[in-house]
Amino acid sequence: MEIYQFLPKTNCKECGKATCMAFAVDLLGRKAKVDDCPPLVNEAKYKANYEKLSEMITPVGDVTETGLIVHENKCIGCGNCVVACPVNVANDPFGAGSGKAPTSDKVIFMVENGIVKARNVQECRRFGENKILCVACIDTCPTKAIEFV
Amino acid sequence: MSRKYYVCTGCALLCDDIEVETDNDVVTTVHAACRKGVARMKGCSNPMECTVGGEKADIDSAISMAATILRDAKNPLIFGHGNSSSEAQKKSIGLAKKIGAYIDDTSSFCQGPIIEAILQDKLKTCTLDDIRHKADVIIFWGADPSNSHPRHLSRYSYFPRGQERQRGWEEDRTAITIDIRRSETADICGDTRFYQIPMGGDAEFMEALVSALSNKVPKTSFDFDKKRILELGNVLKKAKFGVICVGLGLVYSLEQLEPLFTLMNKLNEVSSFHLMPMVGQYNMRGFNQNLFVETGYINRLKFNAETGETEHGNNYSVVEVLRDMSVDAALIIGSDPLSSLPLSIARYLAEIPLITIDPCNNLTATRSTVTIPCALGGVESGGTAVRMDGVEIELKKIIETNNPSDEEILTRITEAM
Amino acid sequence: MGFGQFLAAPEIKLKIVTYRDVFQNAAQESSRFGEEYEKLSAIIKLDPRDISRLSITENDTVIVKNSYGRVVVTAQRSGYEDAHPGIAYMVNSPWSNALVPDKTSGTGVPKFKDFEATAQSSKGGKVTGIREIF
Ligand code: SF4
Ligand code: SF4
Ligand code: SF4
Ligand code: SF4
Repeated sequence: MEIYQFLPKTNCKECGKATCMAFAVDLLGRKAKVDDCPPLVNEAKYKANYEKLSEMITPVGDVTETGLIVHENKCIGCGNCVVACPVNVANDPFGAGSGKAPTSDKVIFMVENGIVKARNVQECRRFGENKILCVACIDTCPTKAIEFV
Repeated sequence: MSRKYYVCTGCALLCDDIEVETDNDVVTTVHAACRKGVARMKGCSNPMECTVGGEKADIDSAISMAATILRDAKNPLIFGHGNSSSEAQKKSIGLAKKIGAYIDDTSSFCQGPIIEAILQDKLKTCTLDDIRHKADVIIFWGADPSNSHPRHLSRYSYFPRGQERQRGWEEDRTAITIDIRRSETADICGDTRFYQIPMGGDAEFMEALVSALSNKVPKTSFDFDKKRILELGNVLKKAKFGVICVGLGLVYSLEQLEPLFTLMNKLNEVSSFHLMPMVGQYNMRGFNQNLFVETGYINRLKFNAETGETEHGNNYSVVEVLRDMSVDAALIIGSDPLSSLPLSIARYLAEIPLITIDPCNNLTATRSTVTIPCALGGVESGGTAVRMDGVEIELKKIIETNNPSDEEILTRITEAM
Repeated sequence: MGFGQFLAAPEIKLKIVTYRDVFQNAAQESSRFGEEYEKLSAIIKLDPRDISRLSITENDTVIVKNSYGRVVVTAQRSGYEDAHPGIAYMVNSPWSNALVPDKTSGTGVPKFKDFEATAQSSKGGKVTGIREIF
């Protein structure tokens, strides 16, 4: 794991994790922030690594970066999220964007067997350089089946 | 890549963008349909059997027994039709005419009054496609499409981009819910767009809205916040293409349609408003239109076998003819009245000789003398159906079955008479 | 179980409003006679205050009846933010239809969505099965 390579690898536990590897896993899952590793922040020798990691891992602030979850037992397959998601609209304006079944593989949401399936999640507006706090799929869901954690 | 689309018969939206995967004449995967539609297209787990007097029978004897029951009856009733193809409905109407039967459908205690007013040009309406392309103010009144027509908002009424609605729902559309309870649809519309009224308060709220649109003080006996009604009035006045989606909550609450006519007239003085009946079963509107073409009435009639003339009116509704016990046998097709009628009325139906035609076992079938399984419309047989907005949709057969279609069964019963 | 069982269970008057539920509807498409359909249909949603007035806890069964019919269904909290004592919600089903008045005041349309009934703890009674409704 590339992230691990940039950590101090001393397993000092200051971050509250048993090992640097465990910390790396949490970083990847956005459950921890780069700043949670004190040696990395404070020690000059890690400065370059700190900067590199910070670049690699966009910070968890108000914007939750990952963890799109569909609660399948709640989803009714109404397609509101499919049609409302700006990525779906941009990538499939005449299918999903117009209220119809998606006609492109580049959409994030698609309903299959009555339940929404998420894919291409990296395209979500909450990710990437120009990320925004998009709530289109959350606000339009009648059963609160979509959650970001 | 060319795609083959089918039509979902789960509700009267008749979504026609459904792809399916099948294996050995079983539908295995359904794309784009909602949860309810998928349940329908995958078929029921308890198919109906062909029976006579509770015993398994072959279809020929079931059909001849059905014909005998109808022949022996003085006042037979043919009822159901909500989940039947237009072709079967026409056969049903023909059969009723031939044997002088009462004929009615589920619209009789459902959207009937609204559809009648639309067909008589008393209410301005539009198509679902018009809504997608143009509607900017959408009111769900006594309707909760998120539960009854799950894809209504995503396909047509709120979220899709359309020709004149290119910027998305947040900017381009205002969706409003008026209901006696905070439904899931109300949640999507948001607190400021939800008007919670007391039970039975619909007519009064309509009058108040008319006052607001006439720049008068909107008064209600339940003291609804006048400012909010005035605000709503202003939103409606500015509408370029408004729609009221009328649900059963409103239909059941109005004793007569006058208040709705008055409101629609007023709305069309100040802006432009259309009405969409939120028809439930997939071809209820088809039955209303088919009967209307034939007789000038949408439901609730009795044919005279000799003259072919019809008697019509509230007294001929399925509820009234069962309540006054004037029916002595019934053919039920595409419906489960023992589940959907008030028990006190269903009880009488359960006592007379019944014939049920349906793909799945249901409560009515358990009390029927004759049960004849038919192909599942839109899955095992094709045909046509009429969407809630009156647009005719062609159903396509997806898989094979041994069961005849509802139309074939009615044809054979008619021939056996 | 204390003396609860020797006391007459309190009976309360309710206005019942019916509604549609997509999960119940999907269950109906699969089977009218399935467990899932009964579980999602034979319920009444009450205000927490009415649940206490009935001296029951959530998921107990209650007898709901009027002069038109009688069913035993499971009591649940409605989960609505706004209080609604005296008003209960039932999903449209043969269980709610068992209580719908046959009066139509000449319109031919019964009041499916809005009727009155009383509720009372069934003291552990079983939910009415769909075939027993008749
Ligand atoms: S502080 Fe850094 S070195 Fe210490 S355990 Fe955490 S990640 Fe590893
Ligand atoms: S947050 Fe926005 S972009 Fe991301 S999946 Fe949801 S709707 Fe699409
Ligand atoms: S909006 Fe919610 S219920 Fe509808 S398809 Fe998306 S996740 Fe499912
Ligand atoms: S909204 Fe109605 S027609 Fe469309 S998929 Fe769902 S059940 Fe089928």
